[in-house]
Formats: sequence, structure tokens, C-alpha cells
Amino acid sequence: MMLNYLAYAVAAWVFLWGLYGIVTSKNLVHQVVCLAIVQTSTYVLLLAIGYKAGGTAPIFADIPVGTVVVDPLVQALMLTDVVVEGTVMALLLSMVVKANEVAGTVDPEELRILMG
Amino acid sequence: MSITAYIPLPIAIPLIVAAFLAFTGKWVGRRACDTLAIATALGNLCLTIVILHGVWSQPYVYWFGNWWPRPGGIALGICFSIDAIGASLAVLTATLTLAGLVFSWRIFEETENHFQPLMLIFMAAMCGFSYTGDLFNLFVFFELMSVSGFALCGLKTQTPGPLQGAYNFAIVNTVGAFMVVIGVGLLYARTGALNFAQAGRSLGRTPADSLVLLAFLLIAVGYLTKAAIVPFHFWLADAHAVAPSPVCVLFSGVMVELGIYAVARVYWTIFAGSLAPNAGELREILLIMAALCAVVGALMCFAEHHLKRLLAFSTISHAGLMLAGVGLLTSKALGGFVLYVLSHGAIKGGLFLCAGIVIHRLQKIGEDHLHGRGHEMRLTAAVFILGAFGLAGILPFGTLLGESMISDAAKDFPQSWLPYVFVFAEILTAGAVLRACFRIFFGWGDPAPTDESSRIEEGPETTAQHSTTPMTMFLPAAALVLLGIAICAVPQLRTTADSAAQVFVDQPGYAGMVLDNASVAAPAKSPEESLAGSIVRSSIAGLLALALALGSVFRKRFPKLNFTRSLETGSRALRTLHSGHPGDYVAWQSLGTAAIGGLFAWFLR
Repeated sequence: MMLNYLAYAVAAWVFLWGLYGIVTSKNLVHQVVCLAIVQTSTYVLLLAIGYKAGGTAPIFADIPVGTVVVDPLVQALMLTDVVVEGTVMALLLSMVVKANEVAGTVDPEELRILMG
Repeated sequence: MSITAYIPLPIAIPLIVAAFLAFTGKWVGRRACDTLAIATALGNLCLTIVILHGVWSQPYVYWFGNWWPRPGGIALGICFSIDAIGASLAVLTATLTLAGLVFSWRIFEETENHFQPLMLIFMAAMCGFSYTGDLFNLFVFFELMSVSGFALCGLKTQTPGPLQGAYNFAIVNTVGAFMVVIGVGLLYARTGALNFAQAGRSLGRTPADSLVLLAFLLIAVGYLTKAAIVPFHFWLADAHAVAPSPVCVLFSGVMVELGIYAVARVYWTIFAGSLAPNAGELREILLIMAALCAVVGALMCFAEHHLKRLLAFSTISHAGLMLAGVGLLTSKALGGFVLYVLSHGAIKGGLFLCAGIVIHRLQKIGEDHLHGRGHEMRLTAAVFILGAFGLAGILPFGTLLGESMISDAAKDFPQSWLPYVFVFAEILTAGAVLRACFRIFFGWGDPAPTDESSRIEEGPETTAQHSTTPMTMFLPAAALVLLGIAICAVPQLRTTADSAAQVFVDQPGYAGMVLDNASVAAPAKSPEESLAGSIVRSSIAGLLALALALGSVFRKRFPKLNFTRSLETGSRALRTLHSGHPGDYVAWQSLGTAAIGGLFAWFLR
């Protein structure tokens, strides 16, 4: 019974640690990686939602109709999530590279030009 | 002729043209790129108007690949379910994009920075966002909108300011996007559906348990981050201060509003039935957030001396007012929300374009640097003053209609203090814009105090100093502000907005329309209430804004007006909170989510 909730607990745990990392980060690259960690919590969650005990892959080419399968939809959601967030991470990292070129720092504390 | 054939086009055409321009931009040349992009935006404007006309009296559901649900079955396909409200937001998107692209004809002279393709992608994403009827589709358009927005914001990569603004924008909004994904996942786990109507029907009227509440919390916070509602608003001022002016027009004019629209859409199609027993508490929470946002935004707005940052905080304040329109949870207030969004979008767009003209002519954006230097720009000054009064919502502006519907709706609830929040926000935001105008264009009084933000240099958008304002810059700005007035001239607009909102909030009707191919019952036509109260309120607000602006400009002559000084310096504590550090922003975002979540727990008692 407890095991059913384990995956959800892991997702929440990973999400919160990722947030903690973003909040306390002193390096932009590290901060982007923490954001990626927050993202992995969504994978864990979606996997947990789609998983069915004893289920097999949802490809009905060689298995009889009526076989227990895992939810085919969540993997599509996850794939979309991966693609979309891959773009975001790439864009963020390219901004960090640019910031290092232009401002000569990757510390969010030193990059503060806009404030107040 | 049926509008079916047109529906995918406002998304498909800009994406195709954007891909074409991204690959061939180098060879076809700057002017050809501009022309093609403007033509595409114009085409989108026509298409979205045709679609709005088609769904005016009866919403339309479009199933991609004809995957419509079989009778008695469930929705497996993805649909666009377009009603008058979504369709009019798409029209606003196309209008503002067109204005922004025309304005940019003379800026970025030197760069090959994919500006036009990004603008087109941004427009396509926002049109899709307002049309879609599917939760995950909404998220994908949300992210498409975000990514193109981040790139547009950080376009001028040769200075650190835009990079910091775009980075903060991206971090905070992406955390919000993950919250949306988790919320959607949890809702899918409960209902097995991603279609709004299907998920809503599956939840039914069963009172919400903790899972449903958590899903609603995460989805709402994710979209309210985009909507820049306090305490999720920190990214907005940074992003607006450095984004090119035509991009600010889209950010402030429609992107922020779409965040609030998404909360309204998700609430009324999915959660309304199951949250109905807690509607009173939810209204309380949303209206307190709205009031807090309006007040904080207005105070910060008056304390800013960086023209774009000032306008950005005014957007935050007005986003609070718009959230009040949704947060009252009635159809009448929602109708007011739509009118407010449409007219505010046009007016704020015009103001940002005026700020762009100031940068083009004078190469600076801080109020202290610009003192009296804009005295030749009389026409721009006129548009600027009109826009300021538009923010105050005085008589010939569309914002008045929105304010009157929201304030009228508030009378029926314990939160009848709402009109005062409107007046407060209108005085300070309009006062700040007028003050900046008096100093920059007329050179009245003493120069503005110098503060942190007025020293921000973003790098000019154009190279040399210009002695004239090109028509391609002035006309879009003037046209947008005039559009904010023209909205007021549409006959019976409040009744129409009210009817559209009644269709919007009818959850069983929406589910029947999407899942059973039923038509929506014609809404009851409510008589228009008198505008007298709103006219009085907004005239007082307009006059007080004018007085406040004059008072702060000429305070040396009138010692009694010294209170304007502290108002103009702003609260030190409040300003320190806007620290420019993305970690702090995410901390506030998490704290805000936890606080609202804590209040939601109160529903379960």
C-alpha cells in the first residue's frame, strides 16, 4: 500500500529539492541544472500516473486485445515535455554563455543590473 | 460558408512563414522579411476577425483530424473550442503584433536577429492559446509563447541587461510551467481526460478533495505567474525594462492577460462544478490577491523613473484589476474583464510604442535624463497624455466599460470595496504616466530624482540620434490609443460582452457543445446599467491623477505637496524586494504558492 505512494513522494521530493537549488544557487549554470531537476520530477510523476501493475507496453501488434497495458498517453505527454523543456534549457544555457561573454560573470548576485 | 477551413490557419500560416523567414532571412534581405511578416500579421488579423464573426452567436468546436467524440463516447482527439471571448483575444493578439511589426520597420537596422520569425511564432502561440479546448494543448501553446517570449526579450545580447531580464523571465516562468504540468498530470490521473469538457464532466459536481484542489492550485499558480500577479510578478518588470518596445506591446498588451484568461477558462470548464461549494472562499482569496496586486503595482509604478519599468508596473497593477474581473466568479464581471483586457491592451500597447519613440529620438529612457528633452515631440506627447487618461479609464475610453461592469458585479458581494481599489490604482498609474510626460515632453518643474532603475541602459534600438519620428512609428502608437477609444463607440458592447461571458461560464453547456455536438442555449440579454457611477468615479480618478502628477512635478513651489516626494521615492522595503535575483523571485513564487495552498486547505475543513 505504501509503495503505491512512493513514486508520488519521490516526485514531490525531487521538485522541492530542485526549487531549493534554484533559490540558493550562486552559479547560473548550476541554477539551470536545478531547473532541469525540477523538470525530472514531472517525469517521475507522469510515469507514476501511467503505470499499471503487471502492465506491458501498449503496442497491440503482437498482444491480444484485453491485455493489461500501461497508459500510452502519459509517455506522449512526457515526450512533449522533454522536447519543450529541452528547448528552454538550451535557450537558458545560451543566455548564460552570452552573460559570461558580456558581463564576465555567471553569479546571479553579480549580474544584478535590473532592480528596484 | 463555414469557418471550418479557416480555423487552423491563424496558427499554421505564421508558423510556416516564420520557418521560411528563419531559414531564408539572410538572403531575402531585411525589407522583404519585414514586408512578409507584416503581410502575415495582417492576414492573421483578417482571419481572426472572420473567425470571431463566425463564432459570434454560436461557439464552434473544431476537431483536428476529425477525431470528434462518437455519441456517448469520450473525447480522444484534440479540439479547438472557440467562443467569442477566445476569438476576440486572438483578434487583439493579431492587432498588437501588426502594430509591433510596423513599428519595428525602422529599428534593429543592423542586426540579423530573427526578430520577425520570433514575433510570428509568438503570435501563432497566443492565437492557439486562446482557441484551444485541451489542457495539454494549452500547456504546449503556453510554452511556445514562453520560449519565443524569452528569446524576444533577450534579443539585444550585446549588453548584460537584456540577458538578465530574459533569464529571470525564463527561470520564473519555467518553474510556473512545471507547476502546470504537474497540475495537469494530477487532473489526468483523476479524470483520465485532457479535454476541458471531458475533464469537467468527469469531475462533475462532486465536492473537490485534496487532489483536485492541488491540481487547481498548481495550474492556477502556473498561469498566474504568466499573468504577473503579486507575488509571482517579479520577472515582469525586469523583462519589460529591457525588451524591445514592440515586444513589450505584446507582453503587456496580451500575454499577461492570457495568463488570467487561462485561469478563467480552466476554472469554468473544469473546476467550477466541483469547487462550487467553496466559491465564496475562492472569491475571497482571488479578490485579496487582485487587490494586493493592484496596490503593490500602483505604488511601485509611481516610484519608478525608468519609463518602460514604470509602464511595466502599471501593467502589474492593471493585471490585478483584471484578476478582480475573473475573481468575482460571475459572468458579468467576466464580461467586464474581457472589455478591460481589449481596451487596456490597445492603450498600453500605444504607450509602450510611445516609449519606443522616445528611445528612438533621445536614446535614453530614464525620466531624470530626459527632463525637457522631448519638447519637440508634440504629437507623441499628445498620444502619451491620451494613453495616461485611458489608464485612468475616463469617459471615452473602453477601460471605463470594463471597470463599470466589474464594479457593478462587485456590489452583490461582501467585497464591495473593489471600486476603491480601481480608483486607487487608476490614480497612481495614470498619475505616474502623466508625471513622466510633464517632465519629459514639457520640461516642467524639477528633474526627477535619480534611482537605481533609471540608470539601466539597455542599448539603443536604433543607431544614430534621430531628429524626426518616422510615420511607421507614430501611426501604430496613435492608432492603438485611438482603438482604446473606438471600443467605447461600439453599440451595446456591454450587453454583448455579458452574453459572451454567460456562454463562457456555462459549464454543462460547454460540455454539451464539445462532447455531444449540442448547440449552446442563447444567453439572457441583460439591460445595460447606467454608467453614471463609473463616470463619476473615473473622472475623480482622472482629476486626482492630474493633480498628483502636477503636485509631484511642482512640489518645490508648494511645500504642502511634499508627500508626493515620499510617494515618488517609494517604499524602500518594497523596492528592495525587487532584487533582480532569480533565486529570490522563485522563493517568492514558492512562498506564494504555499500560502494560497494553505488557504485552499481551509476549503477542506
